[in-house]
Amino acid sequence: MAARRRRDGAGVKDAVGAADRLRAGLTETITRVLADAPAPVADVYVGWVAAAEAADCPARYRAAGEGGWGFPGWTASTAGAAVGRAALDRHLHDATAPPGGPDLPAPLEVVRTWMRDATAAGAPGVAGWVGDLRADRDGATMAATAAAATRWIAGVVRVLGWPLPPGLVLLNVTRDDGPSGAAKWWPAKGSAVTVASGADARLGRVTGSGEFALVVHRPSSADDREVHRRATFEAAAGALGLRVAPDAVVVTAGDTGDRARVVVDEAVLAAGGEMIAEVVRQRVRAMTTGYDAGDARPSARCRWCDEAGHCPPGTAWLAGPGRWRGGLPVLRSGRASATAAVGVAPTG
Amino acid sequence: MPVRPASTLAALLAEVDIAAEAEAGDGPDVTGALDDIAALLDHAARSAAAVGGWTPDEPLRLAKGTVGWLLRCPRRALAAGDAEVSDDLVGGLVVDAAAKLATLVPQRAPTVDAALDYLAATGDTAVADHLADRGGRGALPPEVAGRVALLAGAWPTIDPGWWPRVEEPVRAGLAGGAVVVSGRLDLLLGGAPTPRPAVVVEVKAGRWHDGARADGHLYALLVALRDGRPPAAVVTVVADGTTQVEPIRPAVLGTAADRVVHALEVAGTIAAGEPAATRPGPHCGHCPLRPDCPEGSAWRPVADATVPA
Repeated sequence: MAARRRRDGAGVKDAVGAADRLRAGLTETITRVLADAPAPVADVYVGWVAAAEAADCPARYRAAGEGGWGFPGWTASTAGAAVGRAALDRHLHDATAPPGGPDLPAPLEVVRTWMRDATAAGAPGVAGWVGDLRADRDGATMAATAAAATRWIAGVVRVLGWPLPPGLVLLNVTRDDGPSGAAKWWPAKGSAVTVASGADARLGRVTGSGEFALVVHRPSSADDREVHRRATFEAAAGALGLRVAPDAVVVTAGDTGDRARVVVDEAVLAAGGEMIAEVVRQRVRAMTTGYDAGDARPSARCRWCDEAGHCPPGTAWLAGPGRWRGGLPVLRSGRASATAAVGVAPTG
Repeated sequence: MPVRPASTLAALLAEVDIAAEAEAGDGPDVTGALDDIAALLDHAARSAAAVGGWTPDEPLRLAKGTVGWLLRCPRRALAAGDAEVSDDLVGGLVVDAAAKLATLVPQRAPTVDAALDYLAATGDTAVADHLADRGGRGALPPEVAGRVALLAGAWPTIDPGWWPRVEEPVRAGLAGGAVVVSGRLDLLLGGAPTPRPAVVVEVKAGRWHDGARADGHLYALLVALRDGRPPAAVVTVVADGTTQVEPIRPAVLGTAADRVVHALEVAGTIAAGEPAATRPGPHCGHCPLRPDCPEGSAWRPVADATVPA
């Protein structure tokens, strides 16, 4: 599991130089895109979600508008990983390490302890949100959040093993002294564009040789297709924020127990950089053009898309391949809604 | 394998012997059996994908409901998933949520209101919408509160070392991702990396039925494939006060795998364009496709079909 640079020629030759080239190229691209904007652009936050949305269907991404581009706010679902990271981080730091390392954490207890001891209304990040829940005595949301965080910790520990690999440091963690560890990058001082890494952990120290890996944990996912794309984005975002290209991105999946290691090379960095640039391009284009059928890319997402009703490509997809679900055709009954609740067949 | 007359979830957890886990889960027989099952499933998935045309980009997705219907009545497996939310379904979701709350907040017995709040917090709007259409929470069938109370009374305090995880997702990718079999467990206890064996817990709001047993087998199979060790048992806690405990042995996993293989074969022929077979039965009464299904419409319970003397 140690993040050692491969000696077989795979990966980048010069981790710092590769990151510098990525930064320079993206700075140039983003500067050019912003210069072509009809008006100053404000607050373009480029994280994994935005990058995936813009790549999946640019038309839908632009149409989402400010309400869809920003952080949707903390909920039990969105807070699960953040609480899980913070709780596990606290366990690792608080544990009186016996020989062999800290005790195997009991995930639910670790989360409950963190919620009780490390949160307060007004605290930064997710700790403040949970603190507000405590103040409001919102036990239901706390329980649902604890459930999600527990799954996150259990999945990480199960897939990575215990003790955790040597040199593993949790990232994007809310600590008492404020958020830390999140790698972010701005193309220029005062830029409206922020690129943020969403990696959950780092394996190894960040050194000029780049002999470290970023770790992303996914408690569940629909399939394996997203793994490489997520790794691609995080490789670029991490290289930008840390100024050194990682050796690899490791994506773990709680539902399958799989651990995929994507070696970071120049092609991966370039592809990740392109995902980032595309978000900025679409945000600039959205200033003049929201939804446009010309670059709508129909997929299963059309089933939940607000634009589907007036999107010809989406409508066509839903009437064609989209009629199938999960690999099988779907049958509907025109009279089903009126008769589905009948208990037994009529005898008349 | 007969379902062992259950004691309780608490009794099972108390009885589990950590030392026994190594014997049950790590033996070469079990490991070999799991390898064989994984190979069987992958081979079947590749064969079915060759017929059905699924790819990693457009995979076949199987969950417990799809597997069950493909075997029971393939045509029913194709019904649109947006089934009407009924009082029974809502009651089931509330009882299910109460069990999860009892696990997550063991110091406080769950109530109906707390369970409804928990559902809302998880983003589930089906129950709230259903009740809102009927005048609010007071529209919940009165027996639900009794079931929640029964379940709360029987629910044990679970030692944190069991690693209780509610709504645990499990997934197996087969045929290089062209087939995905997945599930979401009500509650999973133990398993790697804890020293305890895994125990799958499912909660049923109504009565225990044989279909629930097959669902539990499928979940045990998915956990075994993921963790490399079979769970020690599947426990079905029913809100009528009963508990079913079924030990999981390799033969049970083999049976579950055979069901998946059969479901794959059926799905492959359907995806290739063959008409889905119809197998009428008691399920026809609740089937959304029944109005357009001559066989289902003609089906009668045995008692109704009997000609009086």
